[in-house]
Amino acid sequence: MHKLFLLLLLGVTLFATEKDLVLGKQIFEKTCISCHAKDGSASTDVHLVVMPRSLKISILDEEQSYQIIKKGARYWGSTSDIMPSFESIYDEHELRSVAHYIAQTFNPNAKKRVNKLYNESEPIALNKIKKMDKRGKKIYKRNCSWCHGVTAQGDGDATHNPEKSIYPYNLTKTLLDEKQIFLYAKYGGKFFGTAKDDMPHWSRKYDDFTLKSVAKYIVKEFKKEKN
Amino acid sequence: MKNILKIALLSLLLSSVTYAKNHVVDQRGKTFIPHKISVEVGDTITFKNSDDFAHNVYTDDEENEFDVGMQAAGTSSTITVKAEGKFIVECAIHPNMILEVTATEE
Repeated sequence: MHKLFLLLLLGVTLFATEKDLVLGKQIFEKTCISCHAKDGSASTDVHLVVMPRSLKISILDEEQSYQIIKKGARYWGSTSDIMPSFESIYDEHELRSVAHYIAQTFNPNAKKRVNKLYNESEPIALNKIKKMDKRGKKIYKRNCSWCHGVTAQGDGDATHNPEKSIYPYNLTKTLLDEKQIFLYAKYGGKFFGTAKDDMPHWSRKYDDFTLKSVAKYIVKEFKKEKN
Repeated sequence: MKNILKIALLSLLLSSVTYAKNHVVDQRGKTFIPHKISVEVGDTITFKNSDDFAHNVYTDDEENEFDVGMQAAGTSSTITVKAEGKFIVECAIHPNMILEVTATEE
Protein backbone atom coordinates (compact mmCIF):
# COMPACT_ATOMS: atom_id res chain seq x y z
CA MET A 1 0.00 0.00 0.00
CA HIS A 2 2.81 2.28 1.00
CA LYS A 3 4.69 1.50 -2.25
CA LEU A 4 1.59 2.10 -4.33
CA PHE A 5 1.17 5.53 -2.76
CA LEU A 6 4.76 6.44 -3.50
CA LEU A 7 4.45 5.30 -7.12
CA LEU A 8 1.28 7.33 -7.51
CA LEU A 9 2.97 10.38 -6.03
CA LEU A 10 5.94 9.95 -8.35
CA GLY A 11 3.60 9.63 -11.34
CA VAL A 12 1.69 12.78 -10.42
CA THR A 13 4.93 14.70 -9.89
CA LEU A 14 6.41 13.59 -13.22
CA PHE A 15 3.18 14.45 -15.00
CA ALA A 16 3.12 17.89 -13.38
CA THR A 17 6.76 18.47 -14.30
CA GLU A 18 6.11 17.45 -17.90
CA LYS A 19 3.10 19.75 -18.12
CA ASP A 20 5.11 22.62 -16.62
CA LEU A 21 7.84 22.08 -19.18
CA VAL A 22 5.35 22.29 -22.04
CA LEU A 23 3.82 25.46 -20.60
CA GLY A 24 7.27 26.90 -19.89
CA LYS A 25 8.39 26.17 -23.44
CA GLN A 26 5.32 27.91 -24.87
CA ILE A 27 5.95 31.02 -22.80
CA PHE A 28 9.68 30.99 -23.52
CA GLU A 29 9.11 30.75 -27.27
CA LYS A 30 6.48 33.47 -27.18
CA THR A 31 8.30 35.91 -24.93
CA CYS A 32 11.99 35.20 -24.42
CA ILE A 33 13.52 34.03 -27.70
CA SER A 34 13.75 37.45 -29.32
CA CYS A 35 16.56 38.25 -26.87
CA HIS A 36 17.78 34.91 -25.51
CA ALA A 37 17.33 32.88 -28.75
CA LYS A 38 15.50 29.60 -29.12
CA ASP A 39 18.43 27.60 -27.78
CA GLY A 40 19.05 30.02 -24.89
CA SER A 41 22.45 31.07 -26.26
CA ALA A 42 21.42 34.74 -26.76
CA SER A 43 22.80 34.54 -30.31
CA THR A 44 20.31 36.87 -31.94
CA ASP A 45 20.42 39.96 -34.12
CA VAL A 46 19.19 42.28 -31.40
CA HIS A 47 21.43 45.19 -30.49
CA LEU A 48 20.71 46.52 -27.04
CA VAL A 49 22.70 48.71 -24.70
CA VAL A 50 23.15 45.71 -22.46
CA MET A 51 23.15 42.51 -24.45
CA PRO A 52 21.13 39.52 -23.19
CA ARG A 53 22.89 36.70 -21.39
CA SER A 54 23.35 33.17 -22.58
CA LEU A 55 21.12 31.00 -20.43
CA LYS A 56 23.24 27.95 -21.16
CA ILE A 57 26.09 28.92 -18.86
CA SER A 58 24.28 31.19 -16.40
CA ILE A 59 25.38 31.15 -12.77
CA LEU A 60 21.76 31.32 -11.62
CA ASP A 61 19.83 28.33 -10.31
CA GLU A 62 16.14 27.76 -11.07
CA GLU A 63 14.87 29.70 -8.08
CA GLN A 64 17.09 32.68 -8.89
CA SER A 65 15.99 32.63 -12.55
CA TYR A 66 12.38 32.63 -11.39
CA GLN A 67 13.05 35.67 -9.21
CA ILE A 68 14.68 37.55 -12.10
CA ILE A 69 11.83 36.71 -14.48
CA LYS A 70 9.24 37.70 -11.92
CA LYS A 71 10.68 40.97 -10.65
CA GLY A 72 13.02 41.96 -13.50
CA ALA A 73 16.75 42.44 -13.28
CA ARG A 74 16.67 45.98 -11.90
CA TYR A 75 14.91 44.77 -8.75
CA TRP A 76 17.87 42.48 -8.18
CA GLY A 77 20.55 45.08 -8.79
CA SER A 78 20.89 45.60 -12.54
CA THR A 79 21.35 49.26 -13.43
CA SER A 80 19.61 48.79 -16.78
CA ASP A 81 16.03 47.84 -17.61
CA ILE A 82 16.82 45.43 -20.41
CA MET A 83 15.43 42.41 -18.55
CA PRO A 84 11.93 43.53 -17.49
CA SER A 85 9.58 42.19 -14.84
CA PHE A 86 6.95 39.71 -16.02
CA GLU A 87 4.85 39.47 -12.88
CA SER A 88 2.11 41.63 -14.34
CA ILE A 89 1.92 39.48 -17.48
CA TYR A 90 2.13 35.92 -16.16
CA ASP A 91 0.73 34.29 -13.06
CA GLU A 92 2.79 32.48 -10.47
CA HIS A 93 2.43 29.07 -12.10
CA GLU A 94 3.43 30.41 -15.51
CA LEU A 95 6.47 32.20 -14.08
CA ARG A 96 7.55 29.04 -12.28
CA SER A 97 7.01 27.00 -15.44
CA VAL A 98 9.20 29.17 -17.64
CA ALA A 99 11.97 29.22 -15.01
CA HIS A 100 11.68 25.43 -14.81
CA TYR A 101 11.85 25.08 -18.59
CA ILE A 102 14.94 27.32 -18.80
CA ALA A 103 16.71 25.49 -15.99
CA GLN A 104 15.88 22.00 -17.26
CA THR A 105 16.46 22.67 -20.93
CA PHE A 106 19.47 24.94 -21.11
CA ASN A 107 21.38 24.66 -17.88
CA PRO A 108 20.32 21.61 -15.86
CA ASN A 109 23.68 21.39 -14.10
CA ALA A 110 23.98 25.03 -13.01
CA LYS A 111 24.14 24.23 -9.30
CA LYS A 112 26.49 21.30 -9.81
CA ARG A 113 28.78 23.48 -11.91
CA VAL A 114 28.86 26.21 -9.26
CA ASN A 115 29.60 23.67 -6.53
CA LYS A 116 32.29 21.98 -8.61
CA LEU A 117 34.05 25.26 -9.34
CA TYR A 118 33.85 26.27 -5.72
CA ASN A 119 35.16 22.93 -4.50
CA GLU A 120 38.12 23.28 -6.85
CA SER A 121 39.06 26.63 -5.30
CA GLU A 122 41.68 27.06 -2.61
CA PRO A 123 40.15 26.63 0.88
CA ILE A 124 40.81 29.40 3.38
CA ALA A 125 43.47 28.42 5.89
CA LEU A 126 42.31 28.76 9.49
CA ASN A 127 45.04 31.25 10.34
CA LYS A 128 43.90 33.53 7.50
CA ILE A 129 40.20 33.76 8.34
CA LYS A 130 40.77 36.76 10.61
CA LYS A 131 42.52 38.61 7.82
CA MET A 132 39.62 38.31 5.39
CA ASP A 133 37.69 41.44 6.45
CA LYS A 134 40.67 43.74 6.06
CA ARG A 135 41.75 42.19 2.76
CA GLY A 136 38.22 42.22 1.32
CA LYS A 137 37.68 45.86 2.23
CA LYS A 138 41.03 46.93 0.79
CA ILE A 139 40.55 45.19 -2.56
CA TYR A 140 36.90 46.25 -2.85
CA LYS A 141 37.96 49.86 -2.45
CA ARG A 142 40.99 49.48 -4.72
CA ASN A 143 39.31 47.73 -7.63
CA CYS A 144 35.57 47.09 -7.32
CA SER A 145 34.42 50.51 -6.16
CA TRP A 146 35.41 52.15 -9.47
CA CYS A 147 32.40 50.50 -11.09
CA HIS A 148 30.20 49.24 -8.25
CA GLY A 149 30.63 52.36 -6.14
CA VAL A 150 31.88 52.99 -2.63
CA THR A 151 28.54 51.89 -1.19
CA ALA A 152 28.05 49.19 -3.86
CA GLN A 153 25.05 50.86 -5.50
CA GLY A 154 26.45 50.36 -9.00
CA ASP A 155 27.29 54.04 -9.30
CA GLY A 156 31.09 54.15 -9.19
CA ASP A 157 33.10 56.91 -10.86
CA ALA A 158 33.72 54.79 -13.95
CA THR A 159 29.99 54.77 -14.72
CA HIS A 160 30.01 58.53 -15.21
CA ASN A 161 31.32 58.47 -18.75
CA PRO A 162 29.59 60.24 -21.63
CA GLU A 163 29.11 56.96 -23.50
CA LYS A 164 27.40 55.34 -20.49
CA SER A 165 28.86 52.10 -21.75
CA ILE A 166 28.90 50.10 -18.53
CA TYR A 167 26.09 49.02 -16.21
CA PRO A 168 27.60 47.53 -13.07
CA TYR A 169 25.32 45.76 -10.62
CA ASN A 170 24.03 47.33 -7.46
CA LEU A 171 25.44 44.74 -5.10
CA THR A 172 23.15 45.70 -2.23
CA LYS A 173 20.36 44.02 -4.20
CA THR A 174 22.15 41.06 -5.71
CA LEU A 175 20.56 37.63 -5.76
CA LEU A 176 23.93 35.93 -5.76
CA ASP A 177 25.18 34.30 -2.59
CA GLU A 178 28.73 34.60 -1.30
CA LYS A 179 29.91 31.53 -3.17
CA GLN A 180 28.49 32.81 -6.47
CA ILE A 181 29.94 36.30 -5.95
CA PHE A 182 33.37 34.76 -5.42
CA LEU A 183 33.07 32.69 -8.62
CA TYR A 184 31.76 35.65 -10.60
CA ALA A 185 34.75 37.74 -9.48
CA LYS A 186 37.16 34.91 -10.17
CA TYR A 187 35.94 33.91 -13.63
CA GLY A 188 34.22 37.11 -14.80
CA GLY A 189 30.85 37.75 -16.38
CA LYS A 190 31.57 36.25 -19.79
CA PHE A 191 32.28 32.86 -18.26
CA PHE A 192 28.73 32.93 -16.91
CA GLY A 193 27.02 34.13 -20.07
CA THR A 194 27.32 37.90 -20.42
CA ALA A 195 28.03 39.15 -23.93
CA LYS A 196 30.78 41.58 -22.87
CA ASP A 197 33.56 41.26 -20.32
CA ASP A 198 32.73 44.46 -18.45
CA MET A 199 32.97 42.38 -15.29
CA PRO A 200 36.46 40.96 -15.87
CA HIS A 201 37.95 37.82 -14.39
CA TRP A 202 40.22 38.72 -11.52
CA SER A 203 41.97 35.38 -11.18
CA ARG A 204 45.04 36.65 -13.04
CA LYS A 205 45.61 39.28 -10.42
CA TYR A 206 44.26 37.85 -7.19
CA ASP A 207 44.32 34.49 -5.46
CA ASP A 208 41.26 32.67 -4.13
CA PHE A 209 41.83 33.95 -0.61
CA THR A 210 41.62 37.54 -1.81
CA LEU A 211 38.57 37.00 -3.99
CA LYS A 212 36.76 35.05 -1.24
CA SER A 213 37.58 37.91 1.12
CA VAL A 214 36.01 40.39 -1.31
CA ALA A 215 32.87 38.23 -1.68
CA LYS A 216 32.59 37.95 2.09
CA TYR A 217 33.03 41.69 2.48
CA ILE A 218 30.34 42.45 -0.11
CA VAL A 219 27.81 40.15 1.54
CA LYS A 220 28.61 41.32 5.05
CA GLU A 221 28.88 45.02 4.32
CA PHE A 222 26.40 45.67 1.53
CA LYS A 223 23.98 42.89 0.65
CA LYS A 224 20.48 43.40 1.97
CA GLU A 225 18.37 40.29 2.25
CA LYS A 226 15.01 40.49 0.51
CA ASN A 227 12.10 38.22 1.01
CA MET B 1 87.59 86.57 -29.65
CA LYS B 2 86.45 86.26 -26.03
CA ASN B 3 82.84 86.32 -27.14
CA ILE B 4 83.41 83.59 -29.68
CA LEU B 5 84.98 81.44 -26.98
CA LYS B 6 82.02 82.06 -24.66
CA ILE B 7 79.54 81.10 -27.36
CA ALA B 8 81.52 77.97 -28.20
CA LEU B 9 81.63 76.98 -24.52
CA LEU B 10 77.92 77.57 -24.11
CA SER B 11 77.15 75.51 -27.23
CA LEU B 12 79.29 72.69 -25.87
CA LEU B 13 77.45 72.78 -22.55
CA LEU B 14 74.06 72.82 -24.19
CA SER B 15 74.92 69.96 -26.49
CA SER B 16 75.85 67.80 -23.50
CA VAL B 17 72.49 68.40 -21.78
CA THR B 18 70.05 65.57 -22.34
CA TYR B 19 66.41 66.48 -22.22
CA ALA B 20 63.77 64.33 -20.56
CA LYS B 21 61.67 62.48 -23.07
CA ASN B 22 57.96 61.96 -23.06
CA HIS B 23 56.73 58.46 -23.86
CA VAL B 24 53.14 58.02 -24.97
CA VAL B 25 51.29 54.86 -23.94
CA ASP B 26 47.82 54.37 -25.35
CA GLN B 27 45.02 52.50 -23.63
CA ARG B 28 42.91 50.91 -26.32
CA GLY B 29 40.72 47.82 -26.19
CA LYS B 30 41.65 47.32 -22.52
CA THR B 31 45.33 46.99 -23.50
CA PHE B 32 48.38 49.18 -23.01
CA ILE B 33 49.98 49.95 -26.37
CA PRO B 34 52.89 49.35 -26.30
CA HIS B 35 52.89 46.93 -23.37
CA LYS B 36 56.64 47.31 -22.66
CA ILE B 37 58.69 50.50 -22.58
CA SER B 38 62.20 51.53 -21.63
CA VAL B 39 62.63 54.97 -20.11
CA GLU B 40 65.18 57.02 -18.26
CA VAL B 41 64.71 58.47 -14.81
CA GLY B 42 63.22 61.92 -15.23
CA ASP B 43 61.34 60.98 -18.40
CA THR B 44 57.59 61.36 -18.45
CA ILE B 45 54.95 58.88 -19.55
CA THR B 46 51.67 60.12 -20.95
CA PHE B 47 48.79 57.67 -20.65
CA LYS B 48 46.13 58.29 -23.30
CA ASN B 49 42.71 56.75 -22.89
CA SER B 50 41.41 55.90 -26.37
CA ASP B 51 38.69 53.60 -25.05
CA ASP B 52 35.14 54.82 -24.61
CA PHE B 53 35.17 53.96 -20.93
CA ALA B 54 37.25 54.88 -17.90
CA HIS B 55 40.59 53.53 -16.76
CA ASN B 56 42.62 53.94 -13.57
CA VAL B 57 46.35 53.66 -14.15
CA TYR B 58 48.55 53.00 -11.13
CA THR B 59 51.59 51.18 -9.87
CA ASP B 60 52.36 49.78 -6.46
CA ASP B 61 56.10 50.03 -7.09
CA GLU B 62 57.51 51.60 -3.94
CA GLU B 63 59.87 54.06 -5.60
CA ASN B 64 57.74 55.02 -8.56
CA GLU B 65 54.36 54.81 -6.87
CA PHE B 66 51.58 56.75 -8.60
CA ASP B 67 47.85 56.60 -9.17
CA VAL B 68 46.34 58.91 -11.77
CA GLY B 69 42.82 58.39 -10.43
CA MET B 70 39.86 57.92 -12.68
CA GLN B 71 40.75 58.69 -16.24
CA ALA B 72 37.70 59.39 -18.38
CA ALA B 73 37.42 58.33 -22.00
CA GLY B 74 39.45 60.52 -24.35
CA THR B 75 41.65 62.08 -21.67
CA SER B 76 45.38 61.84 -20.93
CA SER B 77 47.47 61.84 -17.77
CA THR B 78 51.22 62.27 -17.43
CA ILE B 79 53.56 61.00 -14.74
CA THR B 80 57.30 61.41 -14.17
CA VAL B 81 59.58 58.42 -13.65
CA LYS B 82 61.32 58.90 -10.33
CA ALA B 83 63.62 55.94 -9.85
CA GLU B 84 65.41 53.26 -11.81
CA GLY B 85 64.25 49.67 -11.89
CA LYS B 86 61.61 47.48 -13.47
CA PHE B 87 58.02 47.95 -12.47
CA ILE B 88 54.53 47.02 -13.54
CA VAL B 89 51.79 49.53 -14.30
CA GLU B 90 48.20 48.30 -14.12
CA CYS B 91 44.61 49.45 -14.43
CA ALA B 92 42.52 49.02 -11.28
CA ILE B 93 39.38 48.43 -13.34
CA HIS B 94 40.72 46.04 -15.98
CA PRO B 95 43.01 43.40 -14.46
CA ASN B 96 44.40 42.16 -17.77
CA MET B 97 46.03 45.50 -18.57
CA ILE B 98 49.73 45.28 -17.80
CA LEU B 99 52.55 47.61 -18.81
CA GLU B 100 56.17 46.69 -18.06
CA VAL B 101 58.39 49.71 -17.51
CA THR B 102 62.19 49.48 -17.39
CA ALA B 103 63.72 52.66 -16.03
CA THR B 104 67.46 53.36 -16.14
CA GLU B 105 69.61 56.24 -14.95
CA GLU B 106 70.59 58.49 -17.86
